[in-house]
Amino acid sequence: MFRNTREGLALALPAAIFSTLLFLVPVGILLSEAFRFEGGWSLQGYIDFFATPLNRTVFLRTLKLGALVAGTAAVIGYAAAFCIVNLGPRARGTVFGMVVLPLMISPVARTYAWIVILGRTGIVNEAITGLGLSDTPLRLLFTETAVFLGLLQLFLPLMIISLVSAMENIPRDVIPAARVLGASWLAVFFKVILPLTKEGLVIGGTLVFTGSLTAYITPAILGGSKVLMLETLLYQRVNVSNDFVSASVIAMILIVMSFSANLLLKKIASARS
Amino acid sequence: MNTSSRLLANWVILGLTLTFLIGPFLIIILAGASDTSYLAFPPEGLTLRWYLKVFTVESFRASFLLSMALAVFGTLAALLLGVPAAYALNRYALPGAETVRTVVAAPIIVPGIIVGLALLRYLVVPTGVTVTLALFMAHTALVLPYAVRVVSSSMHNLRADMEEAAVLLGCSRFQAFTKVVLPNIRGGVLAAFILGFVTSFNQVPVSLFLSGPGVRTLPIDMLAYMEITFDPSVAALSALLAFMSLAIVFVAERLLGFSRYV
Amino acid sequence: MKTTLSRLALGCAAAALATTAAQAQDKTLTISVYSFAQDEYKEALYDPFEEICGCDVVIETGNSVERMAKIEANAADPVIDMAVISTQDALALARKGLLAQIDSSKLSNFDKLYDSAKDPNGDGMAVGYTYYASSIVYRSDLVEIESWGDLLSDDLAGEVALPNITGTQGPLTLMMLAEALGETGGYGPVISTIGEHSDDIVTFYSRSSELVQLMNQQEVIAAPVGKFAWGSFKEAALPFAWANPKEGQAGGMNVMIMTKDNGNEELAYQFMDYWLSTEIQTKVAEMQVDSPANKEVVVSDEIAENLTYGADVIENLNIMPAADVLDQRESWVEQWNTEVIQ
Repeated sequence: MFRNTREGLALALPAAIFSTLLFLVPVGILLSEAFRFEGGWSLQGYIDFFATPLNRTVFLRTLKLGALVAGTAAVIGYAAAFCIVNLGPRARGTVFGMVVLPLMISPVARTYAWIVILGRTGIVNEAITGLGLSDTPLRLLFTETAVFLGLLQLFLPLMIISLVSAMENIPRDVIPAARVLGASWLAVFFKVILPLTKEGLVIGGTLVFTGSLTAYITPAILGGSKVLMLETLLYQRVNVSNDFVSASVIAMILIVMSFSANLLLKKIASARS
Repeated sequence: MNTSSRLLANWVILGLTLTFLIGPFLIIILAGASDTSYLAFPPEGLTLRWYLKVFTVESFRASFLLSMALAVFGTLAALLLGVPAAYALNRYALPGAETVRTVVAAPIIVPGIIVGLALLRYLVVPTGVTVTLALFMAHTALVLPYAVRVVSSSMHNLRADMEEAAVLLGCSRFQAFTKVVLPNIRGGVLAAFILGFVTSFNQVPVSLFLSGPGVRTLPIDMLAYMEITFDPSVAALSALLAFMSLAIVFVAERLLGFSRYV
Repeated sequence: MKTTLSRLALGCAAAALATTAAQAQDKTLTISVYSFAQDEYKEALYDPFEEICGCDVVIETGNSVERMAKIEANAADPVIDMAVISTQDALALARKGLLAQIDSSKLSNFDKLYDSAKDPNGDGMAVGYTYYASSIVYRSDLVEIESWGDLLSDDLAGEVALPNITGTQGPLTLMMLAEALGETGGYGPVISTIGEHSDDIVTFYSRSSELVQLMNQQEVIAAPVGKFAWGSFKEAALPFAWANPKEGQAGGMNVMIMTKDNGNEELAYQFMDYWLSTEIQTKVAEMQVDSPANKEVVVSDEIAENLTYGADVIENLNIMPAADVLDQRESWVEQWNTEVIQ
């Protein structure tokens, strides 16, 4: 550690000032607009926002889909991460690379594909009718299911990556030892794996949840006007109605939601141990 | 469970997960070759005309160049700001270090659409800054958290006593940094660059509101193109871009084990 | 590929500077247009005009709502000199005082226009340059469409898409449904009826391109759409047909406007007049991009079939006054949000 404070600040401050001026200040002004009403300060924007049934529906839907995607990602993520850390070093690198790969591909492309996959003549419906699970093709596009799948595909890699790096820190012998001592797999998971990987779960969960809240393309393309989420509603408020107060209110809600999710997950993680 | 059946279960789980993650990408590649005027999978007839059309659409060319410029220069600017900051946060006992860290990391937490809207309303409109410059700043701010985080973590593993020794031996602090620190964090800086490049290049929400006459990033231009037609050229373009990203990442992985830093 | 990429990367700095350079040129006309068929416009309109005026034409594209928001944001110092837009968006901008009066004496081709195109909003701030009819496109092998009311019939339940209320086509559909359902007292009851059928409607689309995709992958088998999109349906392998409902076709017009005090009026007039000329209107019509508003345009029957063309068609369109849309849209959207997409 160097003690020369002035030198240290000179190095660190440009980044901090840049972020503040170009980022925190404009965003701050925008958010403060959510508390403006007829020239004064007020919570009227929020009252109006939640008084509208559609806005309430959209808010709850966003919350629900975010939680569902994060929850599902956690379940699949644990299974996949456990499998990945059990692989030999070579295979592990390859598989891990394949998990990271989708993150490098434009979300436009990744979402676009689901239009044909989930269509009435798409492969999912071909499989469903082919297997005799349903006589007629299911309506998947423009439903919450479509948005859910699109978001899960988009953000699952983040969860797997977080969990893999957390699991790599579990000492090698702990799990076999617990098994030898007669613990069931379920017990091993809840007593050993979960406590040791909770930090990864918190990071992954926050990333997936926040990502799902703030994705624009997926709900816009796969949900359409019948499955609005907060992000698409915000865009619509600005571009269709020129309604900047609602836009700021939605912005504030999105930020509060991501922060609370992070705090909540941290709290849950610390309560378990 | 015996070992071989456990191994099988292992691969089944991984196979399903990877199919879900990578399948859509394969579908896009094929759908881009469908001989139809709309998107179709399985493709009906095979053609390369959509892949070729991508190169003839003028707005794609302009927006590709803009996105490239933003990704390269925005990430370089973020590194220029981020590397010294990461260094200072690791090596100096700074008052308010936590604040600096939070401020610099903030762009990652705030939804991109809000950043874009805020910059449009409170930077572009009142100050007359061009949309291109606003995009550049937004992309720099967006990449900054990654730059600081990735470079920090590669600096973390580097012991400070080497630089102290260098300083004791008569190097200036700056020389100590360029001669001792920089060579050792090269990999981290390069990884941050690639991560920043990909993040910036694929960025949608920030750029949603930041577009002007003739100024549009590639992903936004792709969305605009879809307002005209859903022909498979967007799929073809997506596939081509994905290959470009993959090539970059593959080379990076080979050179420095990039995935360690993601 | 690699060399191309590195060359592209090198060219980046130049690209980032390109817009500044363009603005620095002496004679530049910045126009805001719909994003479709830009290659055709470039060939038929922009390039020849640049030749004639010795100026640069900078083009901003997007849908009308987005473009309108930008004209408004830059009202104090207009970036856009001239725009083409829907009649109701033009009226909205005019009411906000953002548009200039159009002096028809400066447009030598003005007298060649259909009467309804000369001053569609009655405020002298807009000139129609193209018409579009609006009807229902449907799968002729699966369903018969005789009335706008068929959209809500049991046969089409779960198979139909409607245009979103926020777009231009939405209100037109409301108007024709009101006619079909015999509603005379405003569109409120029509919206309620759509709300009751909400589950039967696959989606409320916002872009005709999206609808083309949906109909081609058999997601829906009927939907109201503007004639300008008809060309994309005709190319398809599936048997699509254009309905002639007994209530007639709805219709609308897109107009040219000029922003107030843009300082570039002369060039803007020159461009507008050129676009309205029989030569350019014919060229654009033959490319099947826009239907002409110029009466003197003559095209073959084959071309005409894809356009909204001819005095008898144009004079029989059910055109909704822009003021109706503008004054009531907000209450429609509110009711729509509560009863339809809830």
